[in-house]
Amino acid sequence: MNLSLKRFAFTAMGSTCEMQIYAESRIHAKTVIRDMASEVHRLEKKYSRFRHDSFVTDINLAAGKPMGIRLDSETKSLFDHALSCYEQSAGLFDITAGVLNRIWDFRQARVPSQELIDQARSHVGLHKLKWRQGRLLMPAGMEIDFGGIVKEYAADTAARLGRKLGVRHGLVNLGGDFAVIGPQPGPAPWTVGIINPQAPDSLMATIELLDGGLASSGDYERCFIHEGKRYSHILNPKTGWPCAGLRAVSIAANLCTVAGSMATIAMLQDEAAGIEGLRESGLPHVYMTNAELIGGAGIQV
Amino acid sequence: MRPVQPMRSRSLLALSTTALALPGIAGADAPPLQNTLSYKISNYKEDDLSRSEVLFGDLDRYDIDVHQFKLITPVGRNYALQVDANYESLSGASPWFTTQGFDGKPVVNLSGASGIRDRRSEISVGGSYYLENGRIGGNIGYSEEDDYRASYVGINGERHFNNDLTTLAIGLSYSDDAIFPTDAPLFNRVVSADKSSSSVFVSVSQIIDSVSTMQSALSITEQSGFLNDPYKLRDIRPGDKTQIAWSNSYRHFFLNADAALHLNYRYYHDDFGVSSHTFDMAWHQNLGDIFRLVPTLRYYSQSAADFFTNQDNFLAPLTSFQSSDYRLSAFGAVSGGLGLIADRGDWTATLTAERYLANEQYSAYEVKQPSTALVQYNRVSLGIEYSF
Repeated sequence: MNLSLKRFAFTAMGSTCEMQIYAESRIHAKTVIRDMASEVHRLEKKYSRFRHDSFVTDINLAAGKPMGIRLDSETKSLFDHALSCYEQSAGLFDITAGVLNRIWDFRQARVPSQELIDQARSHVGLHKLKWRQGRLLMPAGMEIDFGGIVKEYAADTAARLGRKLGVRHGLVNLGGDFAVIGPQPGPAPWTVGIINPQAPDSLMATIELLDGGLASSGDYERCFIHEGKRYSHILNPKTGWPCAGLRAVSIAANLCTVAGSMATIAMLQDEAAGIEGLRESGLPHVYMTNAELIGGAGIQV
Repeated sequence: MRPVQPMRSRSLLALSTTALALPGIAGADAPPLQNTLSYKISNYKEDDLSRSEVLFGDLDRYDIDVHQFKLITPVGRNYALQVDANYESLSGASPWFTTQGFDGKPVVNLSGASGIRDRRSEISVGGSYYLENGRIGGNIGYSEEDDYRASYVGINGERHFNNDLTTLAIGLSYSDDAIFPTDAPLFNRVVSADKSSSSVFVSVSQIIDSVSTMQSALSITEQSGFLNDPYKLRDIRPGDKTQIAWSNSYRHFFLNADAALHLNYRYYHDDFGVSSHTFDMAWHQNLGDIFRLVPTLRYYSQSAADFFTNQDNFLAPLTSFQSSDYRLSAFGAVSGGLGLIADRGDWTATLTAERYLANEQYSAYEVKQPSTALVQYNRVSLGIEYSF
């Protein structure tokens, strides 16, 4: 077998994405990659809260309507997973927390008034959603955002589709969320470099993947310093204030979706609990603390 | 990826469980993720006839208890298995023959003084395979009574189109039945006979908007073999029958009332000459988060079969068709019912009661010969469904 690597870069879900697959025929590789990418676009179109024609927009527009909205099975499953994230993080990972982002302006580096925060917080809480006869009833003023789940899910979905289409060696990278299809030919692991939040040109670790996925969460992209205090862009839905836990987390798991949820939960918790949760998972991971210390397990530093 | 230590994180297990259930990861459509077990008991009781309507025999007509069990269980990621088991016990009498009474009016003679006692047991097993945008399935079943055996097989499938707003379903089924009346030599009944029926249906469902849906279905059934009623003294029907039924339903949810209106209409015709119209409506009123009250109303009317007679003619040659079966006469019927549904998530309980009155005066069709034995009945049922 004469396998060659085919790469394809594209933009989706607000990120730079890349597919890499090993295939015998370049033409076949091209069709497979196109199918995998269109699956990512399908999920973006369905779950983007920035698109007026997305299903998430329909769900949010149905907030406060007495009849609510009927969900398809895929969306129901995403809610099930979101609920599991909510439960496992004791309410910290909350897909209804999006309304808080509107009052925190990270570009202008301004802290909103406590009154405004409390007002927004009254529209947050996944437990406030009601289900009746297969329909979702969401109180008025609330909205959901699958942003913290869908990119990882899309990576897994694209990888699964690739596998179904005959790919044995491939990698899906959706803006830093990875799902791989088996190891590289050889076989050899896929080596993923984790960027150091303090020095974006250097790596703080590498993680080797043979299968499954890897996801990262961190506040190195968006945060601000106000009166000497660092404010993360990751907000605690219970207080309405930014988190002050870990600065960055990357973790590998059986699925990118699982890795992403674990990473987000670790970021939302206070530092010690976040580190403990990562350690307890037994999965390869790397993190950076608020004091810029790097720790982890199962990685190459 | 090498686990550094064995996975022992509870949250990791919980997150993996829900992530693995996501359709893009798990594969295709949505087979049931839960087991559903349900049980329903119904009692169907026909009103007894009055002595003036019956020349001899029991006045008691049918009293039937029905027990229905159903289990739906997912098998793997794409399959679902369904098992149905029914048990019926029946007692009472049914019209045996009709004659002219002392006043010249037709009267009915009910079967044997001891009436009929029968049990029916049925089991059917079906499977479904869920595809990307549809489902295919099949089932086989077997039913047995003291005097009747039926084996049947069916296949069906459905496909969603138009962003899941439209669903097209088709199905085929075949049933092979054997009839061996009790006390055949004693009453000169047929000793054993066969009958078969094949059926095809096609239906289209459409979600119109967020509060209304409609469905239209057409089915054609071809029966052949012994179609007579072996318990009647004289009942001779053609050996072939083609039935066609066209069913339509419309559902509309009223936001302000928190209630839904279900409207159904069915047209039926067969080449025995029977045509019928059925209109029914139900109002599903939600009462809080748990209860739903469902009043129902139905009107039914049919024309008589070409060979229906309300007075058996024992002088006619055995080659000429005739039947005094009230189900082949022209009549109309109204029924009303009330249901109460309690839904507590994993548990659903349904209690229904229905009163049915058939009368030739309610008929929308011309009644040349009124039947002697139209039924009035009560039906009550209690169902419980548990998902786990």
